Amino acid sequence: MSTTAGASLRPLAQSLKALTLRPIQRRAVTDYASLRDNLPRKVGMFGQKKVFHSPQADEPRRHIKIHAPLPAPASKTPIESLTSLQLATLDPTGAKQKMFSRHNPDSVKVGDILQVRRKNGEQPFAGVVINIRRRGVDSAFLLRGQVTRIGVEVWFKLYSPLIEGIDLVQRTEKRKRRAKLFYLRKPEHDFGSVANIVGQYMRQRAILRGEGPKNGQQGQRGGKTGKKGGKKN
Amino acid sequence: MPPRIPFPAIARARFVPRTSVASFLFGRAQFSTSAPKAFGLKPKRTSSSGSPVLLEASRAHALSRKQTPTRTGVLAYKTGMTAIYDENGVRTAATVLQLDRVQVLATKHSKTHGYFALQVGFGWRQPKNITRPMLGHYEACGVAPKKELREFRVKDESGLLPPGTVLNADHFTVGQFVDVKANSKGKGFAGGMKRWGFSGQPASHGNSLTHRAMGSAGQSQGGGSRVLPGKRMAGRMGGQQHTVQNLKVLQVQPELGLVIVKGAVSGPKGCIVAVQDAVKRPLAKTATA
Repeated sequence: MSTTAGASLRPLAQSLKALTLRPIQRRAVTDYASLRDNLPRKVGMFGQKKVFHSPQADEPRRHIKIHAPLPAPASKTPIESLTSLQLATLDPTGAKQKMFSRHNPDSVKVGDILQVRRKNGEQPFAGVVINIRRRGVDSAFLLRGQVTRIGVEVWFKLYSPLIEGIDLVQRTEKRKRRAKLFYLRKPEHDFGSVANIVGQYMRQRAILRGEGPKNGQQGQRGGKTGKKGGKKN
Repeated sequence: MPPRIPFPAIARARFVPRTSVASFLFGRAQFSTSAPKAFGLKPKRTSSSGSPVLLEASRAHALSRKQTPTRTGVLAYKTGMTAIYDENGVRTAATVLQLDRVQVLATKHSKTHGYFALQVGFGWRQPKNITRPMLGHYEACGVAPKKELREFRVKDESGLLPPGTVLNADHFTVGQFVDVKANSKGKGFAGGMKRWGFSGQPASHGNSLTHRAMGSAGQSQGGGSRVLPGKRMAGRMGGQQHTVQNLKVLQVQPELGLVIVKGAVSGPKGCIVAVQDAVKRPLAKTATA
């Protein structure tokens, strides 16, 4: 018991009496649960008069029927389902997928030299892979080569029906330590023309097929040796 | 010592002034959702000369002027973008929209609400996460609780559908055009260059410390010495509803619930978008074209 300053103290006898002679009473326990049940349910606020209560206030809560949900859509990952549907027609053998798959140790890596043959009659384009963009059916790769001694970069969509075939002309000697070889654009790193490498690859392939060297490829002679044979799709 | 009270909330409520109780009752008595009087005095529909032509100021004329699709729209997830190759090998960037248990919940009629519309629900939500008033609404509509509700206006009574109707991806036909509404990605507080495409200032030629400022906000004396209302300035960008009009439907796959539209749609992946027949390219015209 605290006393404030200035307040007169109670006489000592009275205080003692209060301490000693008072019987210990049971604390009044408030039964909140029964209190809640006895209160009207729908009221604007506690302590209102009955006339202000909602007419439904004393009725029990109505059971609301909850309808069962419809079945969920067939696919939780629609883009993936769509991609597999599209690849069934765009890449029926799965060769292109395998060629660029992350799970395939022999897949195309940046730094490899590819040749892309096109269906629309344009010359095949060859160059170093400097960027691979994996986006499902929209996957693409960027080749840097030369056309009339001018450095040219071309994006190819991997699954485009306009691509007739992709030849792996030469693999990179060492694994490149970057995912994007944009430094090849700098003059000191530029790979230059890949025509010689591609020419040699084409001659080798022709010999393997037993066709003999083609006239169109004879002009491109010399150059570095192709490390490995290409893969045709 | 203060008196002991069993339930302090009751005691406190006793001291609430009487006036608030009265206003509470008054508000209840006045509350109404669909009374015809809620729309105020009806302006005259036609001239007193007896001409059947609707007066331009009338509500009926305003309803006829408004460009509204004839059919309801649907809600869908924006699941992302991909590419579609046509038979000629031409690649088209496309957005994949997925419908998820889209159902009609309720309709609005011009007689009761002043216009024609449908309330369309999307997805499913746990009933335990839904308030009792909304559960009652779903019960009345005869559908399971929905993740999202949206109202789609339609031109006339022929566009109304009974509650419970399921709208699947085959609601749309390949080749038709749709408008897609979605909340765009929020960009935060953006400067004039990003928000409005202002040119900014040159990087060099003696410029210092001012390269992306918006420049002048208007004239000084003679121009009113004030900034005109609506002046484009820096501020919050994105995070608002944005409609992309006239997107062509490239593919429809009812078994997966997919509608694939040409081009881009606002908003992040996984956001809910509203798809409805294009207002500016009516369905009948595109069907014949």
